[in-house]
This record gives sequence, C-alpha cells and structure tokens, in this order.
Amino acid sequence: MPGADKETDLTERIEAFLADLKRGGSGTGPLRGSGEMARETTYLLRRITAQARWSSAGDLMEIIRNEGRRMTAAQPSETTVGNMVRRVLKIIREEYARSRGSSEETEQQESLHKLLTAGELSEENFRQHFVHLKANVIEAINELLTELDGTTDNIAMQALEHIHSNEVIMTVGRSRTVEAFLKDAARKRKFHVIVAECAPFCQGHEMATGLSKVGIETTVIADAAIFAVMSRVNKVIIGTQTVLANGGLRAVNGTHSVALAARHHSTPLIICAPMFKLSPQFPNEEDTFHKFVSPHEVLPFTAGEILSKVNVHCPVFDYVPPELITLFISNIGGNAPSYIYRLMSELYHPEDHKL
Amino acid sequence: MLQIYTSGATSGSFRGGKQKKGNVTSEQEEEEQPLQAVLVADSFNRRFFPISKDQPRALLPLGNVAMIDYTLEFLTSTGVQETFVFCCWMSNKIKDHLLKSKWCRPTSPNVVHIITSDLYRSLGDVLRDVDAKNLVRNDFILVYGDVVSNIDVSQALQEHRHRRKVDKNISVMTMVFKESSPGHKTRCEEDDVIVAMDSKSKRVLHYQKTQGLKKLQFPMNIFQHGSDEFEIRHDLLDCHISICSPQVAELFTDNFDYQTRNDFVRGILVNEEILGNQIHLYVTQDGYGARVSNLQMYDSVSLDMVRRWVYPLTPEANFTDQQGQGCTHSRHNVYRGAEVSLGHGSQMEENVLIGRDTSIGANCHISNSVIGNNCTIGDNVVLDRAHMWNNVHVSSNVEIHQSVVCDGAVVKEAVRLNKQCVLAYNVVIGPNLSLPEGTVVSMHHPEEEEEDDDDEFLSDDQEVGHSKDKTRQKAFNPAEVGPEGKGYIWKASMNDTEDEELAQCLWGLVLNPDPESDSESEASEESQDRTFQLEVLGTLQRGLEENIVCDNLVLEINSLKYAYNITLKEVMQILTRVVLEYPFQQQGTQLTTLQYTGSLLPLLKTWSPVFKNYIKRAQDHLDCLSAVEELFLEQDTHQTAMVKVLMKMYQLEILEEEAILKWFSTGATNDKSRQLRKNQGVMRRMSLWRKESEEDESSEEGECGR
Repeated sequence: MPGADKETDLTERIEAFLADLKRGGSGTGPLRGSGEMARETTYLLRRITAQARWSSAGDLMEIIRNEGRRMTAAQPSETTVGNMVRRVLKIIREEYARSRGSSEETEQQESLHKLLTAGELSEENFRQHFVHLKANVIEAINELLTELDGTTDNIAMQALEHIHSNEVIMTVGRSRTVEAFLKDAARKRKFHVIVAECAPFCQGHEMATGLSKVGIETTVIADAAIFAVMSRVNKVIIGTQTVLANGGLRAVNGTHSVALAARHHSTPLIICAPMFKLSPQFPNEEDTFHKFVSPHEVLPFTAGEILSKVNVHCPVFDYVPPELITLFISNIGGNAPSYIYRLMSELYHPEDHKL
Repeated sequence: MLQIYTSGATSGSFRGGKQKKGNVTSEQEEEEQPLQAVLVADSFNRRFFPISKDQPRALLPLGNVAMIDYTLEFLTSTGVQETFVFCCWMSNKIKDHLLKSKWCRPTSPNVVHIITSDLYRSLGDVLRDVDAKNLVRNDFILVYGDVVSNIDVSQALQEHRHRRKVDKNISVMTMVFKESSPGHKTRCEEDDVIVAMDSKSKRVLHYQKTQGLKKLQFPMNIFQHGSDEFEIRHDLLDCHISICSPQVAELFTDNFDYQTRNDFVRGILVNEEILGNQIHLYVTQDGYGARVSNLQMYDSVSLDMVRRWVYPLTPEANFTDQQGQGCTHSRHNVYRGAEVSLGHGSQMEENVLIGRDTSIGANCHISNSVIGNNCTIGDNVVLDRAHMWNNVHVSSNVEIHQSVVCDGAVVKEAVRLNKQCVLAYNVVIGPNLSLPEGTVVSMHHPEEEEEDDDDEFLSDDQEVGHSKDKTRQKAFNPAEVGPEGKGYIWKASMNDTEDEELAQCLWGLVLNPDPESDSESEASEESQDRTFQLEVLGTLQRGLEENIVCDNLVLEINSLKYAYNITLKEVMQILTRVVLEYPFQQQGTQLTTLQYTGSLLPLLKTWSPVFKNYIKRAQDHLDCLSAVEELFLEQDTHQTAMVKVLMKMYQLEILEEEAILKWFSTGATNDKSRQLRKNQGVMRRMSLWRKESEEDESSEEGECGR
C-alpha cells in the first residue's frame, strides 16, 4: 500500500530531523546556519501538509502543532524551528479564511469585544472542508520558501545605506548575515572592520578570514579589548541568534559587553536579523533561554586534577536588553526595537505564540 | 628478540594465508556499505558484583538512563547503521529493554540486532562468533555496553580507511584514545596504559598496562625501525572504542587463546613482523569517552555527565525519547524531572539530577548527586555524591556520602552511609546505624556465591538458578544492618583478603591503593610461570623419551611461550631451571652431587641446540647465568656442581667466556653475605679453572668442535 509507505517515509524523515536537532551544535553553535534550519523546517512542514492524513484545516493545524512541539522540545535554543511552525500555522489560518470568503482583516484583528463574545469559537470554525485548501496551503508555503531564500540578499542590499566610506565597523563572532552585509558594502566602499574573536569558540577568526579574502581591511581583537577599541568605532554591526518579543536579543556570548561598550561611547548598534529570527519568546522563560555546552572549551579535559575540584560552565548565549539597540535591519527594511511588537503581530497569530 | 620471529614463521605463514582470503572478499565488496558496530553488552567480569547479580551492567542507570542507551546513542550519532548487540548474562532483560527503547522502532536509523548466547565467556568468544556467523562485511566499531562517549569517530574512521587503502589492509585496528593528563579523576588506574607510537603514522609500537608499576620497560627494537619520531605517552584515557577491520574477527578465530582486546593488541604487536598487521591510534582532544569499568568510574562518569562534559548527551536532552523522562536544566547544573517536590529550606547546591515524581523533605542539603524516579527523601537529609536509583526511600536525618543505593532500597532514620558504601537491590538499613567505609550490603548471601566461585571464569554470567535451592535462609544480623534491616553484609562474612578484593572490585584501584593488589597480580603471574615451567618440563621429558629433534622442541616451547604469554627472558630462565632440576625430578632430591652432575652433563649436551636457540645476545648470557646462580643458591648442597655445569656449558658453546667473567665480577657483589661466602668457594675454583682454560684454549676449542 503506497499510502502507508509514504507515511513511514514521512515519520522517518521527521525522526531524522529530530535526532539532528538533538545532536545539533557540538558547542560552536549549530552546524548549519539558522537560515538553512528555517528552510529545512519549512520543507518538512510542507511535506507533512502534503502527505499526512487530514480533512480539515483544524486537523492539519493539530498535526503541525504536535510535530512543532516535538521539534522545539528537541532543541529549545533553536528558535527558528518554532518560528517557522508558527508561520505555517498562520498560513493555514489565512488560507482557510480566504476559502471561507471572509476577509483577512476581520480574522486578524483582536478587540476586547471580540475576546468577550467569541471565546473558543474560532477553533470550531476550522472544521469545514475545502477541496483546494491543501493546494493553496502548499502554494503559500512555497512562497514562504522563496522569501526565505532571498532574506540574506535582501538584507545585504541595504548595506550601502548604512556603511559609508572610511568608517570603522566593529562586529563580534561570526554571522553569515553580517558577513554578506559587509561584503556587499565592500563592493563600493572602503572601510575597516574590527572583529572581536568571541572566545571560547573563537568564531571571530573564521569571520575575519572570510572578510579579508574579499579585500576588506580586517583586524581581530581579543574580547577584553572591546571597550578599549570602541572609542574608534563608528558603528557596531552584529548578528543574532534570536530576536525576542520585547526587542531584546539572544545572541552569542560576549554580545552584551559589546552592546554596553557601544552605549557608553554612544556608538550606534545595528542588528542584522532576518524576519525568521523573530520569536514570540520573552527573556524570562528561564529554562530554555540558556544553553550550556561541554566545558571543554573553557578548561580542557587535559587539565587533569583541577577538574574534580572546580565547576566549569560554558554558556553559549547572552541576553541583550532592547534599550541598548539602535536599529534592526531585516529583509523587509530597518526597524527600531520598539516596533518589534508590530512585526510580531503581523507574522504570527497570537494563539500560536505558545505551541 | 629475533628468535621470536624466526620460530613463529611456520604458524605465521598459515595465518597469512587465511588473511589473504579476507582481503580478497573485502575488496570485492563495494565501497559504500552501511557502517556496522559490535556492541558487547557484557563485561565478563564481576566488578559490579552484588549489584550485577540482579541487573546486567549495561542496564544500570547512569543519570537515570541505562548505560547501553548512551552507547547506542553514541554509535547512532556517529552514523552507525547496523549494530549487533551481544548479550550473555541476563540477556532477556537486555533484550526486553532494547525492544522497548527507541532503537527498535521502525524509524530508527540504526538497526539493532540482538544476539544472545550463554556461551560467551570473553570478548574473544564474541568476536569468534562474529566471524563464524559472518556478520561483518566491512570495518566496524567495537564497543562495550558501558561506554559513555560523544566522540565523533568519523575522523578516525576516515583515517583508518585511508590507511587500509594505502597500505593494503596492513592496519587491522584503530583504537580511540582521549587525551587526559594523569591524575584526572576519570582516569581509571586499572586501565592506565602506556603507549609508544610512531608520531607520524600513529602506529602503535608498544602497548602496556601500567597496573601501578613504577618501572616500565620498552624493548629497544621498536625504536630501531620506522620513522625517526616516536612518542611515549601516558596521558591517554582508553575510551574502549576501537575501529576494527573484519580481519580482527578472523584473527580472534585463528588465535583461540585471545580473550580480551589486550591479548589481541599484544599478540598483534609481538607478531607484527610475521603477520604484517599493525595497530594504530587515534587521539582525540575534544569529545568525551570513558568506560564505566567499576564504581569509581561510575561515580566520576556520572558527575561528568551532570557537569555536561558529554554534551549533547545531557539529562535534559532526553535522547532516549522516553515519555515523561524530560527534565529542566537550571543554574549550577540542577536538573529537575516532572513532578518533583522540594521541601521548605532544602537546598540543591550544585550538580544535582532529580528524576520524576521524587519528593524531598525539608532542610535537606543535596550536592553532586543523582536521584532516580519515584524516590522519597525525608527531612534533614544530607546527600553528597550519592547515586540513588529508582524507588529508594530515605527517612529523616540520614547522611549519605559517595555511595550507591540501588532500586527499592530503604534507608531508615538516622543512618549514616560513609564513603563507598553500596546498598544493593531491596536492602533495608537502620534505624540508627552508621555503616563503615566500603560496606556492601546485598539481599544475596555471600556464601551462596562462594560456592560458585570455583567456576573458572569469574564472569557476571553465572547460573543463579541452581544455587537458589541451596540458599539457607539465614537470619539478618541486626548489629550489621540495624534492628529493622534486611540484607547481608558482604564484607564481614568473608575472610580478609577476599573483602579487600571485593572493595577493590567495586570501587577500583584508585581509592584503595593497597600493596596487596600488586602482589596479587604478581602471584597470578607466578602461577602462570609455574604452569609454563611444568609444560616445558613435560616437553623436554617427552623429547628425551621419544627422541625428538631439538628443532621441534624449540618449536613446542615457542608455542607454549605464546600460550602463556611469557617473555623471552623468562622462557630462557625457566628453561635453564628446568634442565638443571631435571635430575632431581627424575631421581628424587636425595641425589649426591656426583650423581647429579653425572646425569646432568649428558642432558646438557643433548639439549645444547635448544639453549643456543634462546641464548644469543650478551644479555641473554647474563640472564642464563643468573638463573643458574639462583638455582644453585637454592640447592646449596650441590653448589660444588655449579662449576662443572658452567664449564660444560662453556664447552658446549652455550655460554661465552666474556659473559661468565662479567657475571662473575658483577654477580658476586650483589649477593647476600652468607651465600656470598659460600659462593666464593665456588668462584675461587671457577677462576682457577678459568685461568686453566685460558692456557689451553686451543685444545678445548678442538674438543668443542667434536
């Protein structure tokens, strides 16, 4: 029976993806960039939409929510996965609404009156069956995929508006988005980049080699020198792992000190972050916020006897509060941190914030 | 050293033939084959003994997850697609566990085959079975079921495959080691090795377990060929992960006396020149890998895991994918499962893992501990480095330090467990009792075990069933386990030496560095020497009776040498001893000196080719002489015969003149006073005779020639 075959194939793929997520990142952050992770999640969700058994939008949402819950539980620090699940859920809602003929506007707007009167009704409504729903949803997911493919280019395109000639730019660690952003600017302008190495993983070294290859004047500094160098810097441009719901960041360790130094010297702090990094999570959700990896990088196993006498921790992420951030550059343009709430409500349905 | 190679040549060529067959088959197969692994889910020793009587070692929980799951996860994450799990002791339990786990789900990327047999007694048996069943077709990973690791071996695998491609299957095995300096807590002294390797090719030249030895010897010849850079390393932790070629299984079949990997490595290194097989090393700096070989290791690996050294195999990752096993990770490495309740004023200081549905009373202090599922812990309890498994009940005012408390155990009011205590399954202790350091309490009476102890193989895998009926239901001793206690103390009912051994078994050598352990290992060596000596004696006797050619005798002795794993030096010394004692053996110890020499000298003449085969270098001469000296020091009534023996040996060209002179000058100074004086009588005559011999050297040469 080909149907059953397809289904086992699907579960196999999901299991493989989950196992990958669990093992993902042996300390130096994920092996793949979050862009790739987002794309892979979306591919998988499209597959689920196409191959799973469902008759109404409600069923489909339930299936996707279930799988999404497992995926986010597998690697809570990888927020992109959860974000993509929310995006797809939102797509299903919109397509359902369109099939029913009601306008998207009314479906989306929340008002106190509506909350009091409607109650749980919205879920009930998804039970209706539409023939073309599946095709429409898949079509919309395909659009999402094209959007994902273009994010880095869209961000890089804005580089010339922000980087001017003979500026000194500081960045920290390695971010694929920032790398593309700087390289794009280097095609027209000449500027100097200072890279903080970002111990203990030292991804900054990789970043610096990448930049110097295209002829950008690059200097690597130790993390301890960030404050000393900051007075010479015109702009700080960094990437992030997640943009939180309050406009703060969850970024690689050491970013907070960069942000504080930038604030002290009134240097603008610009964040390059594609929209899929926007997460409805708040920084107080303690259990999943931090990620501790093997302490090997901090104090190697070969240190011997001392290891039984001390506790070594190796956190991966820093929290950067929104008030230290000047500007977000995403694939749809520049935004202030205070505007994040609005983007959030455009991207995700409020009922999907918690999967 | 040369002798080994020449004498083993016949058997070597035979093995070489078989090996070639293996090469052909592996070449015929395509390049891309699923990576296979052999997982040995039995330890073949009794290190965890009273605990492993109820549960096989591979299923003991480490951080609330069975150890075998760590091993399987390690294999799966390195890309193994087919794993053969070999179980022996309590194979049903392991089977049940695996069938329920995620490894046997149809979606598992790693197909697990379970192979059980009660006949496996060692790693060697398992690998011989692998060969007999023809299970592996390509390079495979060999691990034990108690290895905890997150090492990415794909790099090692690549190196291994590359080497095999370049050198035409010369390298048979790549052992994975982790760099860790001596003194590291996770280094188990039992497993301490010293390795000499070629720094360029990473080839192992010498491999030796240190076993607490202060002095180590390296044969010089290993440094004489090959490249010009060598490393002698003692900073390696054996991960017990090895990448093997299919030949390894074949070699185990060919050499039925290989029991462990250690035997194998030694065998390969000794026979390197004949068989042309080599062993390589892969040293990793990052990643974590250790084998839980005793409770000492259990303690440190468990703590390492909680301290996240094995990331991503951390408790909160729930990699076994079991429902409800998830837990959260918060500051200071405190992990809490679902439905954990913590009383008022209780503190979880650091490195604590608490399983689901566990409740903890008020004012407790918990640090560096792992607590299983469904445990209840009373008020004012202090736990430090405690390892509690599931369903443990601990009453109030209890103190537990560095101890293991197994499933279902009950610790009553005001009990104190000092370091290294073990409470096995369902034991009840207390109230108001303090167990001394190293106490082991089990529901099994130690005597029911002693009866089985004569079993030749001290393995986990003994039939318990038949001893059940013999069990005399003895009353529990309230002085030992408390008024309401249930269980037998393993220490008290055994005699002293045995309990030392037991404590050592459970907690490893590190914490009990008693001198006895050294003497013990020596004792076993001694007995091995003894059997070897008897065998040599038998061989020579037969040789004499059946008139066997000396070359064949040499062959036989050589094969004995391999069977008992005796060094060349020892072979020679034992041989000398056997020959010199031969007249006593045959005609009783009441011989007069004259009779003795009369019967010995012709024997020396018959067997001189045997001696010549073993005594070649200057050092050999000295060793032989010291053996002669040793014997005559024991047989002090026959010391006068020594001169004659030495003379005869000189005439037969077994011993060289320079060697005798050298021995005479150095040996005399080393001897003890009484023997020295007696010896000197001998020596004086010796030197007299020596001068004589110098005078008519030519005539004696002629005599020898005949």
